[in-house]
Amino acid sequence: MSEAHLENGEPVVVVQDVCKEFHRDAITIPVLSGINLELKRGDYLALMGPSGSGKSTLLNLVAGLDRPTSGTVTVCGQSLESTSESKLARWRSRHIGFVFQLYNLIPVLTAFENVELPLTLTSLSRRERREHVEAALQVVGLSDRAHHYPRQLSGGQEQRVSIARAIATDPTLIVADEPTGDLDAKSAGEILDLMERLNREFHKTIIMVTHDPDAAARAKQTVHLQKGVLVEKTHAGQE
Amino acid sequence: MQTLFYIWRNLKRNKLRSILTILSVGFSLALMTVLNGYMAMQGVWGKEAETRNRIVVMNSQGFSGMLPISYVDRVRNTEGVQAASQYAWYGGNYKDEQMPFAQFGVDPKSVFDVWNEMTIDPKQLEEFQKTRNGCVVDRRLAEKRGWKIGERIPLQGTFYRFDLDLVLCGSFDSPQDTGSLWFNWLYLDEGMRAMNAAGTGNSGTIFARVTQSESMASVSQRIDERFASSDNPTRTQTEAAFAQMFTDMLGNVQAYIRNIGLAVVFSLSLVAANAMAMSMRERTTEIAVLKAIGFSRRRVLVTILGEACSITLLGGLLGIFIGCICLELLHTLSSQFMPLSVFEMLGPWLVYLLTTAAGIGFVSGIVPAVRAAQLSVIDGLRRVV
Repeated sequence: MSEAHLENGEPVVVVQDVCKEFHRDAITIPVLSGINLELKRGDYLALMGPSGSGKSTLLNLVAGLDRPTSGTVTVCGQSLESTSESKLARWRSRHIGFVFQLYNLIPVLTAFENVELPLTLTSLSRRERREHVEAALQVVGLSDRAHHYPRQLSGGQEQRVSIARAIATDPTLIVADEPTGDLDAKSAGEILDLMERLNREFHKTIIMVTHDPDAAARAKQTVHLQKGVLVEKTHAGQE
Repeated sequence: MQTLFYIWRNLKRNKLRSILTILSVGFSLALMTVLNGYMAMQGVWGKEAETRNRIVVMNSQGFSGMLPISYVDRVRNTEGVQAASQYAWYGGNYKDEQMPFAQFGVDPKSVFDVWNEMTIDPKQLEEFQKTRNGCVVDRRLAEKRGWKIGERIPLQGTFYRFDLDLVLCGSFDSPQDTGSLWFNWLYLDEGMRAMNAAGTGNSGTIFARVTQSESMASVSQRIDERFASSDNPTRTQTEAAFAQMFTDMLGNVQAYIRNIGLAVVFSLSLVAANAMAMSMRERTTEIAVLKAIGFSRRRVLVTILGEACSITLLGGLLGIFIGCICLELLHTLSSQFMPLSVFEMLGPWLVYLLTTAAGIGFVSGIVPAVRAAQLSVIDGLRRVV
């Protein structure tokens, strides 16, 4: 397991006093301020808040796609704010699985090849890669669609392939940016079921950005962001 | 899945654009192949000539100057010369074809001593020597034309007023296809005299074989000194230098064509760069996803550059293939212009052309590749194309 290096009880995600500002010409735009967050292995967190509240920015910081202006972000024991770009890329390939709102599959590759894509960055043999891909597709229930191209799949199926791609490398953390935002209610329900299963059965730590309260209700805990500040934290069953 | 596989899939993403880019590179490379092939042929031909111990005597004013036939014997008797023959270009039309092959008036008695690498059946040579209007041809030319011994070959003069009515006495074998016909120079000269035409007694050029390659320079100098004070001073040079002279005559034209070729390659690079830039713009989000899941900058750079180079290399291979077919056709149809087959002049110039194709790919791909490598994942994911 990729979490093997984490000692028992050590948090997967630690966000401490994080501020993030963007600069447009001479204007400084504060996006996040004083964010503190901690996730343990097996946590499932929903990030909610209005547009522009900083949800995606926080998700990007945790996924190692961006750096904080101040504060520290430690994920899977790796401090991200000072890590070089190339090390971060390597780190992401090992520890992070991405699920995007618009699936973002590579259109010229089949479902199988899309899922295999992150595995090409590992030292796995061709046979091992095939085994990983087949297992991931089986988890999302798309073994029979392995050789279909994205254009031959429905939106829900594309998102399931996207989830298979995210879990193929057995990452420590899955970050999902509005994974149901572009789906109908039935497909969205299936995706949320799948996410829940990944969390419950496979103990994957998940952070999900969503606008949908029903989707957020499926997570173990929910945090609300407002104007870049964490304003509320609720746990499942707690209203 | 390897990078090459991913590159190949991307090439097929927009088939029309890829095919058009490949064809545009291919067309330019085909033109460059023909040009470079011709120049390579001149080089190989010149090197071949260097090994033959032959020198060429011509009027110091060039081909338009007179070279009296009496000079042949005087050259032949020069110390160090083994054999000599006049070699007068005729340039006649055959039936309805304009100068379809090379024709030269020679001395049948000595011509095969000068070109001793060429072989002919002794009986055919004897027949050639005793038949005033006899001629011999390169075997490949005879086969191409379907000529048999005794065939009448009428040639209409263009430079000379006298028409030749030749009889084929034999064919000779040569290491390379000369595409040439040799006839008795006397037959032409007598015909011209009978018509009281100007330009009689002109040997055109004289080819001589010297005993040792080391003595070619000294023999040449000796010949030129001998005729220096005559009405028709000479310029003597090795056969290789003579062949090079023709290349040099084309020198400026070659430079123009080469420069035009480079300009075409440059503009082609811009066209290919535009195609690559469009392709990258359409795939901004996709590249951002690749980087998000762990593709390094270097890997993205290599992938995009590999894609650009693959397209232009495919175009280059296609162009070189078509260019080689054109050269081979040229060789088949007009061996006097293109005496060598492509297979006889395979060499570094083909590698140069392939490198040019790859270079176009590199130039066209480097900017989009660097931009893709430096793309911010967040910006890429946010961008709606």
